[in-house]
Amino acid sequence: MKSLKIAGLLALSVLSSVATTTLARAGEVTWWAPNWGEERAKDLAKRFMAANPGITIKMEVTVSNGLPERVLTAMRSGAAPDIIEVQHGWVNGYAQGDLILTLDDVIQDKADFNKAALDYVTWNGKTWGIPYRIETHGVIYNKDHFREAGLDPDKPPKTWDELVAAAKAMTKAGRSGFGITGGGEVGNTIFRSLPFIWMNGGDILNADMTKAVVNSPEAVKAVEFYTGFYKQGLAPKSTLENDGLALRRLFVAGAVSAYQSGQFDLPAILKENPNLKLGAMMIPAPAGKQTAAILGGWSYVIPKSAKNPAEAKKFLQFLNTTEAQGFYTDTFPARISSTKLPRFDDPMLKPFAEMLPFGRPVPVHRNWVKMVQAYFDGIQRILLGDQTAQKAMDQANEEIQALLK
Amino acid sequence: MRSNAGFVFVLPALIVLFMLIAYPVAYTGVLSVTNEQGQFTGLQNFADVLRPRVTTQALWNTLWWVGGSIVFQVILGVAAAILLNQNFVGRAIVRSIALIPWVIPGIVAATTWAWMFHTEFGIINHMLTGVGALDEPIGWLTRGNTVLPAMIAINVWKLFPFVAIMVLAGLQSIPQELYEAARVDGASYWDEVRHIMLPQIRPVITAVTLLLVIWALNSITIIYAITKGGPANRTLITPIQIFRLAFENVEFNQAAALSVMFFGIVMIIVFIYIRALANQPGDNQ
Repeated sequence: MKSLKIAGLLALSVLSSVATTTLARAGEVTWWAPNWGEERAKDLAKRFMAANPGITIKMEVTVSNGLPERVLTAMRSGAAPDIIEVQHGWVNGYAQGDLILTLDDVIQDKADFNKAALDYVTWNGKTWGIPYRIETHGVIYNKDHFREAGLDPDKPPKTWDELVAAAKAMTKAGRSGFGITGGGEVGNTIFRSLPFIWMNGGDILNADMTKAVVNSPEAVKAVEFYTGFYKQGLAPKSTLENDGLALRRLFVAGAVSAYQSGQFDLPAILKENPNLKLGAMMIPAPAGKQTAAILGGWSYVIPKSAKNPAEAKKFLQFLNTTEAQGFYTDTFPARISSTKLPRFDDPMLKPFAEMLPFGRPVPVHRNWVKMVQAYFDGIQRILLGDQTAQKAMDQANEEIQALLK
Repeated sequence: MRSNAGFVFVLPALIVLFMLIAYPVAYTGVLSVTNEQGQFTGLQNFADVLRPRVTTQALWNTLWWVGGSIVFQVILGVAAAILLNQNFVGRAIVRSIALIPWVIPGIVAATTWAWMFHTEFGIINHMLTGVGALDEPIGWLTRGNTVLPAMIAINVWKLFPFVAIMVLAGLQSIPQELYEAARVDGASYWDEVRHIMLPQIRPVITAVTLLLVIWALNSITIIYAITKGGPANRTLITPIQIFRLAFENVEFNQAAALSVMFFGIVMIIVFIYIRALANQPGDNQ
């Protein structure tokens, strides 16, 4: 039965994309832009069209839910738009699948870009996407909860031990000191737990991606540290069903005192609870070691089947000027010169900006999605109490190793 | 000449049927024995998809899910139908209300239930702790031994009204004379249920159960919207595994291989079911 549905869906999406592309005209650039930047995207398109009368920008607004599937189907059907905004981590897969164009002739001032972001979109020595938005997690915390627990909200924890101590002090009367995720979309938990493994000198794969190393002592200790917040009762009981959004809700409701997230959560929190005294800190690291975070964000790509690649490239050069990048991003721009713009001067953003140099790309492997699923299942087994951290990571390691072939 | 004309008239329908059913099925078969480049790889995809232990786990979960759902859907549905067949004031209203779970779109129901079951904000824990039945909230969706039963409960809630309505229709077609004859012989109400109602509606129950089996076997909505198969694959059923393989891991060939095997299993179950139940010689009460 399922096979029918899969094939039917494919057929439908092919039909619909054929229908949209037949409308593409010469000099018209179709741009798939996500909904959160819609207003600013319209503004940029208007400015570009005013300066380039021969080119029309046709915007199509995308939503993040189901976007990877939609992009892939459009590209594979050979009827894709001219410019798509995608997450950095997806770019390599498209490059390896021969679905997008190289953009070495488009990117200006390559030295001005965040190095980790460029690493993401580089494959085979060529640049396949242009990063325009980068972000990492920090830790968002409730200053009043710090004060009530007798802690100084202006001197947040810097080490793992200090973080655990602070979480213990703040956990009382139905309030959890530090929220972690253990449910929802896999990515939520990868973004929050993998940095701890990195800080401690561990990883999921070794450097040349020939061996799974997630059961190394460094990695297991970090996993123990992460899941320990739940095991010791410092994270909410609902951890196994919580994703990032649920944590934010619990934080807004005052049920969680601190949690990892990006700066994009700040306006949303203040909108729901304007009286909350917000603080932000860098993610604490083991004593004497450096912090780490997953670098996330978005890049522009041009699909191979784009109808008007020349015009699309011209528009991309406009979108990637220092000024346009600084204007368009929701979080931080990938261009270093853009971060100097007054918009990024906010003291609340400082810890997040300081995290950026410690941002790392996740490995680029065709089975990565399955690998993080195996790792995530292991985390859930620990949280469920099925296995110890060592046993769970041994099993995950074995499953990930099998995916390396 | 005439037969040709007839063929021309059904041709459009045949083409549509072919495009929407025969071609995708055949293409899934082709996908299952080729790699991404379209080269023939024999049974490689089948071996790859069977190797991880999650495949076996998903199959067991599927059997529990289907079995648990069907048993309670049928029992609850038949009981509700017998109840709704009685004469009482407001019967029409109760009948309509009973249909509501079935009418609600699956995704809406699933999301609502996810919130109701939530450990911190859920109304179920709120009510149970409020009246003192529980000392502290239970993580319905986060405990290994409650999450699949919770999913089954939602599925039962969603579909038992359908069973009830079908069985009710069957009950109403039972001739009044049968009851009268039984009463003359001094039958109690329970005798009427056992010897008249149940045998008379057996064909309906058989057909409905077959539908329920098929729906449970390929249902994704409820589980996917609530747990996505987690925690730690406790609610991962094979259809969700196929969906994950195809659309999250972009392994269309392995997904096709799993679909083909699953299709085979489903066909066997349906075949056995029809042979064992539907083809039994006519009722002789």
